Amino acid sequence: MVLLSTCNRVELYAAGENDAAPPAPGQLVRFLAECRGIDSADLEPVLVRESDAAAVRHLFSVAAGLDSMVLGEPQIVAQVKQAWALAREQETAGPLTAGMIQAALRTAKRVASETAIGRERLSIPSVAVADFARGVFERFDDKRVLLVGAGKMAHETLRYLLEAGARDIVIVNRSAPRAHDLAARIGARVGRFEALVDEIASADLIVSTTGATEPVVSLDAFAAAERQRGGRPLLVLDLAMPRDFDPRIGSRPGVWLYSIDDLGAACDANRRSRARELPGALAIIDEETRRFMGDLHHRSSAPVIERLRAGWAETGEAELDRLFRRLPSLDDASREEIRQAFDRYAAKLLHSPLASLRQESHAGPPHGLLDALRRLFALED
Amino acid sequence: MADFISRISVVCFAASYLVALACEASRLLFRSGVRGAVMVGFAGAGLLAHTLFLAWRAAHEPVVPLSSPYDWYLLAAWLLASASLWLTLANPRTPVGLFMLPLVLGLIGAAELSSTVPFPRSPATQVWGAIHGGFNLAASVAVAFGSSTGLMWLIQAGRLARKQAPSRLRMPSLEKLAGFTGRSARIAAWTAAAGFASGLVLNAVNSSQGLLDTVPWTDPVVLRMGALVGWLAVAALVGRAAVRRPEGARTVAILSLVSLAVLTTSILWGVLGPSRHGAPAAAATAAEVPR
Repeated sequence: MVLLSTCNRVELYAAGENDAAPPAPGQLVRFLAECRGIDSADLEPVLVRESDAAAVRHLFSVAAGLDSMVLGEPQIVAQVKQAWALAREQETAGPLTAGMIQAALRTAKRVASETAIGRERLSIPSVAVADFARGVFERFDDKRVLLVGAGKMAHETLRYLLEAGARDIVIVNRSAPRAHDLAARIGARVGRFEALVDEIASADLIVSTTGATEPVVSLDAFAAAERQRGGRPLLVLDLAMPRDFDPRIGSRPGVWLYSIDDLGAACDANRRSRARELPGALAIIDEETRRFMGDLHHRSSAPVIERLRAGWAETGEAELDRLFRRLPSLDDASREEIRQAFDRYAAKLLHSPLASLRQESHAGPPHGLLDALRRLFALED
Repeated sequence: MADFISRISVVCFAASYLVALACEASRLLFRSGVRGAVMVGFAGAGLLAHTLFLAWRAAHEPVVPLSSPYDWYLLAAWLLASASLWLTLANPRTPVGLFMLPLVLGLIGAAELSSTVPFPRSPATQVWGAIHGGFNLAASVAVAFGSSTGLMWLIQAGRLARKQAPSRLRMPSLEKLAGFTGRSARIAAWTAAAGFASGLVLNAVNSSQGLLDTVPWTDPVVLRMGALVGWLAVAALVGRAAVRRPEGARTVAILSLVSLAVLTTSILWGVLGPSRHGAPAAAATAAEVPR
């Protein structure tokens, strides 16, 4: 049994061992309810039950992030790995669930590498830094980042900038205590709000998130800063609503100005791009599900194949013994040659039925063929 | 092994580069998990074949290794293909080959149209000839490389100006591309000037020793190389002056494309036009080396 628990789901995967049936769904529901101290009847309305190929396909979709609220989100893979690690630690998993989890992780890897479903970013701060700031600047450790305002969005954007290597950070905020508080946490310098034009003149990247109702930086104020900049490019991420920077500043040469609407539109485009990747991802899920189920069904025919091989080997050995007794003059090399010929002959005869079994396994358990083999070759259980 | 290397032809590596270019172009159409490996595989195989081909020619030329216009273009193509592969390996998500491999194929095409007759040299002019050819080679490769990065800068700047999220063709940052383009422009100007100056010295040595015909100032090669050197110097100076202006990087990117146009014109002029450049003196003859 493997329990997968994330923000939006609790899933229990169960499989029987050695042809034994898995626990009945009712037992699993009672188990879950007892764990949480609730009545199992309360769980019924939110329960989804899947079995066989549908359950496998569901796990593969979950691991690939296709069942997540944010399509293609990658963290789910780590959560599947954690669930598997826990199951191993508690010794609740068997070979079937192990195989299924490994196949799910392999499927998630294929979806991630063969489609772009999880590649584009979807949050405004991450898009601002990854798709736009990194498009302008190669490195951030030699850039000055100016934070105008100290709101939540600024904090979030700063997190991505720090990850990208930003070190020289200046915070300018009307409320000095709040600026000092944030500066102390990230090792930044606090600038005076009154000296904003000078701070803009020396900045390379500005993140602006004030709650002001009028633009904080007018075109004239920017023109004053622009003269001191020496032609250096400037990236402005205006994440305030309404805007902090006069939109006309964006048409100044060397200035890359992005408002929250621009970044929101880029996020939507990325979301649509992920959705376009969905058919490709689903095709991989289907392919991997078919492969897994085919292997699983084929494994169920292993005992019959084993008995068939053993029976043929036994008959072959008996015939060889009889032959070698009648031809005592044969040397060891000749005996070995004859033995190998027998083995090859048996393998060639077995090839077609085994290939048919494998082929049939892709469509479901090959009960008909297995039964025919048992009856044709008198294979007893 | 030697027999195998001797059978490598221009078609072998040109076809490999063409397949690598097709792989790069397919980024525009669909995504693939194996395309990167296939693309690098073909580009690498092409570069290996290209290297062996040049090594074979260098070892079997009767005069100075790789001293014909044909070899010179193939050497320039080899340098650019090496730079393209290096950048592709360093930036796997950037379609570097889409911009550089057409130039590599263009140089191979120019080689096919060029003479395989090595420039006649004597011990007295061999060093100056190598310096002259080396600087011109470096200038051409720098112009081609700079124009590729300049074009990438303009595409990336266009995407950022339209406020679009990155497309399937992911470009390096403007900062990196501007650095490459600016440095290439300066290197191209200095090496072209040094190539031209060393050509003058070579001409003087040749005429004093009667080894080659003196190339007159009105010779098409002198005119086109002079025009190229003049343009590259202007481009480098304008680029340097513009660097402290907000539109400086855009100016440098556009200049790099104009430099490529000037270089292409110069090459076509050289390939198709008559010249006394590298012609042996009346008494001397030079044998053509098979392609």
